[in-house]
Amino acid sequence: MRIVIKSVFAALAIGGAGAAQAFSVFVCEPEWGALVKALHPAAQIFSATTYLQDPHHIEARPSLIARLRGADLAVCTGASLEVGWLPMLQERSGNAKVQDGQPGMFYTAQFVKLIGQYEGVITPFSGDVHSEGNPHFHTDPRRLLQVAAALRDRLIQLNPGQASSITAQHAQFSKALSDRISGWEAKAARLKGKPVLTQHATFGYLWEWLGIKSVGDLEPKPGMPPTLGHLERLRAQMSQSAAQAIIIAQHHDRRPAEWLTRQPEGRALPLIVLSATVSEMSPTGIFDWLDGLVMTLQQQIRH
Amino acid sequence: MTARSMYCQLLLLPGLVALAASATAHDSGRQYPNSSWEFGAVLDAAHTSKKLELGYRDKNLGLGHSDLMIRGPLGAAFTAEGIFAAHTVDDRLETHTERFVLRSRNLPGGLSLAVGRFASQIGYLNEQHPHADDFSERPLLYRGFLGNHWFDDGLRLNWTAPTPFYLRFGAEAFSGKQLIKEAETKPKIGTSTVSLKTGGDLNQNNSWQLGLSYLNNRRQAEVHTHSEGESAHEHLHGASFSGRRMWMTDLVYKWAPDGNPKNQQIRLIWEQASVARIHPDAAASLRHSATALAAVWRFRPAWELGAKTDWLRVNKPEREEDGDPIEFGAARLREHAMMIAYKPSHMQTYRLQFSRQRADGADAAEVFANPVRNVVMFQVVLGFGAHGAHSY
Repeated sequence: MRIVIKSVFAALAIGGAGAAQAFSVFVCEPEWGALVKALHPAAQIFSATTYLQDPHHIEARPSLIARLRGADLAVCTGASLEVGWLPMLQERSGNAKVQDGQPGMFYTAQFVKLIGQYEGVITPFSGDVHSEGNPHFHTDPRRLLQVAAALRDRLIQLNPGQASSITAQHAQFSKALSDRISGWEAKAARLKGKPVLTQHATFGYLWEWLGIKSVGDLEPKPGMPPTLGHLERLRAQMSQSAAQAIIIAQHHDRRPAEWLTRQPEGRALPLIVLSATVSEMSPTGIFDWLDGLVMTLQQQIRH
Repeated sequence: MTARSMYCQLLLLPGLVALAASATAHDSGRQYPNSSWEFGAVLDAAHTSKKLELGYRDKNLGLGHSDLMIRGPLGAAFTAEGIFAAHTVDDRLETHTERFVLRSRNLPGGLSLAVGRFASQIGYLNEQHPHADDFSERPLLYRGFLGNHWFDDGLRLNWTAPTPFYLRFGAEAFSGKQLIKEAETKPKIGTSTVSLKTGGDLNQNNSWQLGLSYLNNRRQAEVHTHSEGESAHEHLHGASFSGRRMWMTDLVYKWAPDGNPKNQQIRLIWEQASVARIHPDAAASLRHSATALAAVWRFRPAWELGAKTDWLRVNKPEREEDGDPIEFGAARLREHAMMIAYKPSHMQTYRLQFSRQRADGADAAEVFANPVRNVVMFQVVLGFGAHGAHSY
């Protein structure tokens, strides 16, 4: 038995040392994967989640532990978004590089100003609230620019040999994104001040950026799935709030929003299902996704 | 645990907090933020219509596994964590230190080390907090062989292999005093374990994990003199049934459409344990064994339905009168449970559970004197402050 175990250990050690050593990046959400791809195309990137998943509620699956075990850098949002699963992955991975306090653990929320800090006393009945603020800031391209600059520095620090390439890639990405921002703002100008019903604070920063007004949340408390009683209250307020659309994310259960659109008050409202993040981790993934968000809102919210 | 060691550990707490404060102050303004110190509490209360045989919840209103938690970094090298727990036993409040541990964070090569008091990583459920369980009472396997939730004083070394799938080898050495409370043999390292965990994804919707563990126990439990019909009211501490060796297998399978468990999920959990060399006087073929199978379906965000079936087969060593030879009472206990739970957020769980037990075997009347036909439990779990991450 002992000999068997020893030879397994030896075989694994040799296998591990012999493998090709691409710079391996573990991202918690695919938007950070797309950003890494844009700044350092040679990196090998794995995302723990997809646009179909709610990043608050992810199982600390064995496959994710194995992926984090081999990572040189982990890029996550922070601000408690992944508090239910990332610490478990870090602990179980046994990977010293990606522990908190190490340069290999990069929390993007550290580099931007968050909105929506919860200021009351947090009780068991407050829902899943974050005292740090709303962590879904990646829907604001201006904040993405800030993260990109900080991520460039960290990538260079960990890959000093690639400094010039990463700097050039970043300059290109940053310019391309800056150029697009005014275009998106122009396209969405008519949406300014439009009242909409939303679910969760998923797109809170998008509303802030484009001036769209969320006049009601399908969730009774942050993170708490919609209840019939709460939906009933929203329905009753609909004529008063004058909401122009119901907007949810792709990973949300659609039934509550669909229920509202079946009520007499909500029948005329479009139900808009937006992707909360990029569907592909390509260098242009972020542009394509934000393009899609602005276009969909522009087309589906009434004039 | 003795009252004295409990107070010693409680006295260490202010020191830990001071260290935390200095470590945090040192960290502020640093480029790579360390995790911050967290405090949390969990209240687990239940109303139970009858006490189950081998049950850990009191009849009527009782406090389940409730705790106070403090956790944070000690520099870059360690995470420190303390959990102080309380629950009611026969309407009296019992407190204990459940965790008081230093875990390494910067060992090379996938190694990690833990020192202090912590829950053993054998099996699937043991490392998890009972208040995070899918059912109001743990499987008979845990209640019979591991004192419900086995934590002890010791040392752990783990190695996570650099493989494309998850593979972890682990070894632990414990005093064993929390597992076998009253022992005839008392070596310094009473119990030790080795275990292996492996797992992966089949595709985006399906994932699995397999665990194999072995427990070596050198603390031989004292054999008691038989007393009629007391088992359901016995003060349960540590393992009710033990032996020199125990093997465990656990298999977990989870399904979620698009890998998004918030909206819908199915979890299947199977655990099996076999205890050998149950007493020096027992024939080698005499064993204890237990199996548990649970299925939970999250059918809507926040709503879960579950069913669980488990059985426990034991040969309980007992003396009829002091000085008599030891006899082994053969019996089997079966238990089935159904539950429905509402979990509107990480911080709230409301669960209604029905359980039913049946005992059979030659000596069932003596070994499991009080199996209960139908039990209804209503359980509430509330979280305050920080809550830890959940394991798979």
